[in-house]
Amino acid sequence: MQWSAKRIARSPLWLLFPIGVIYGTLAVMPLALIVRFSFAGGLKQYRAVLASPLLARIAENTVVVSIITTVVAVLLGYLLAAALWRSGPRLRVLLFMLVLLPFWTGVLVKNFAWAALLQDNGVFNELWLVISPTHKALPLLHNRLAVIIGMVHYVLPYAVFPIYTVMLSIDQRLERAAKSLGASDFSVVSRVIVPLTLPGVYAAGLLVFIISTGFFITPVILGGPADMMIANLVDFYAHQLVDFNRAAALAVLIVVVVSVLVFIYQWCPKEGQYGKA
Amino acid sequence: MVMDIVIPGLDDSANREAGKRLAGRHLDVRGVWKAYSANQYVVRDVTFTLKPGELLTLLGPSGSGKTTSLMMVAGFELPDRGEIRVDGKNVAWQPPQRRNFGVVFQGYALFPHMSVLENVAFPLRMRRFSSSERRRKSLDMLEKVGLAEFRDRRPADLSGGQQQRVALARALVFEPDALLLDEPLGALDRNLREALQLEIKELQRRIGISILFVTHDQDEAMMMSDSIAVMNEGRIAQIGSPRDVYLHPRSPFVAGFLGETNLLRCTDCEFDGSSARLRFHNGTVGHAQAPQEGYRRQSPHALVSVRPERIRFLTTEETIENVIDGIIVDCTFLGNRSRYVVHALGQKLIVSSTDPTLSQHACTGDSVRLGWARDDAQVLSETDN
Repeated sequence: MQWSAKRIARSPLWLLFPIGVIYGTLAVMPLALIVRFSFAGGLKQYRAVLASPLLARIAENTVVVSIITTVVAVLLGYLLAAALWRSGPRLRVLLFMLVLLPFWTGVLVKNFAWAALLQDNGVFNELWLVISPTHKALPLLHNRLAVIIGMVHYVLPYAVFPIYTVMLSIDQRLERAAKSLGASDFSVVSRVIVPLTLPGVYAAGLLVFIISTGFFITPVILGGPADMMIANLVDFYAHQLVDFNRAAALAVLIVVVVSVLVFIYQWCPKEGQYGKA
Repeated sequence: MVMDIVIPGLDDSANREAGKRLAGRHLDVRGVWKAYSANQYVVRDVTFTLKPGELLTLLGPSGSGKTTSLMMVAGFELPDRGEIRVDGKNVAWQPPQRRNFGVVFQGYALFPHMSVLENVAFPLRMRRFSSSERRRKSLDMLEKVGLAEFRDRRPADLSGGQQQRVALARALVFEPDALLLDEPLGALDRNLREALQLEIKELQRRIGISILFVTHDQDEAMMMSDSIAVMNEGRIAQIGSPRDVYLHPRSPFVAGFLGETNLLRCTDCEFDGSSARLRFHNGTVGHAQAPQEGYRRQSPHALVSVRPERIRFLTTEETIENVIDGIIVDCTFLGNRSRYVVHALGQKLIVSSTDPTLSQHACTGDSVRLGWARDDAQVLSETDN
């Protein structure tokens, strides 16, 4: 096959040109720059990052907070998905709005809303002070609990949709079949519905965990100094220490680890591994 | 007549082992009504009895209420009125879990995340059988349907026919009061359908279970049933043996739904015992079977149903109870038979003939004498709808 000028001019690949330019200048190029920064002085930056006692503590915090967030979000998401699945058309529209509204709301808005609710003279503490015998405000803000609340609020839609999709793919006759074979409502759920939705649960869990590990602004607004997460450490190197090379090395490490998770997620069946029977 | 039926894929010992038979119980559906919205009844006053060991088919077009009737027996729908009795005990208000019917759904509804053995053991697990007993009974049943060596497979790895056998095994293993089959063969191609029809029938004869079967396919109903209940617009139009409903239909709907028929109008109709003497509207006198005693209707007009394959071409000397003259207006060769359209009695008659010499000679425009026996003509008890 010959590549004449005319042929090239007519190639449909030209349609990819605009996205190529945007993606190249906004994503690939900065990433390449970061990789280059990270190798300034060979592996020196990586050694420095990995040797820092901060990394171990913050990585641990990131993983723990992300796991708790994932578990809570998947549990709540499962219930919400089940409610969406089983509700009538009108209730379903309402529930969808309740899921999607926070999804479309900016993370800053959500976080400051929680800050307002959780602070010492916020709504929850005002209520608590009325009934509390000690008249001391509860420490609700600037701690791990607040960070997790804010993160769960953000990631909940990401937990709902993979589970809901798998539920939709379940053949409704399976439930009738189970009942006709003598299964109680509890057995229908525990032996048929839950096993069939597990692929969705795994997919949702992985997705939520990946998103959780990348949180930056929520720990800043809702957390205390001890609640730094890994993205905050990058910021710490870049803005507090003004050491871009070290920040770049840490960023590359994060990208590598998360990429592994993203690959696993891509392999994970999302639409019901059993299909439609 | 006792026949020795051997299920393909079953070894001799399994066939012999099948001596133990489930009988099933007496299922009585009495005056059941069901509406989904106010006064829009989809099932109207449906009454039938499924005797132990019998295969009864609910046959009708879509929307005739047959599946709704089955679902009420299974317990997935509640009737607005009426009773569903198992050995005299009304179960109409019990949830499906509390009834004891084996249901086989269209598409089989096997649990995709369980192995074949786990699927079959599921109803036993729900009934809290011990694990050793579950295993023994399930393997026993899989043996009976010839799938023991597939016990560890997933349903998705089985063929359509094997899936059906698993579904049957799962519905039979807990010794249900009856099997309820909801168009289990609906989505299959013709050859597989016929093979599976035979398989269900044979399994039923060996195990001896009573079956309530729902289908819209009249050939399937004829092939499998001990009794057929023909349903139309929520009602049972007629119930009887396949032979009875085919040869002695009561209404034009039943006559037409169970294959092709000729409906002849008559102006005068007198009953005499089981036979009827009638006058076609060109004055020719005819003879036919009268409707059963309770269904006779005195009316100056009547309809007679005559099946196309029961009408014969007569030679000039031959005579029979009904003789008419006509002209062939169309003939079609269909391989195993020929189909003629004959203009006679002021209307078009369909005649089906398997006579090979006739098909070579008879052609369009010929004048012919047609005849049929008194027993092959049935006066319908209803003329409308």
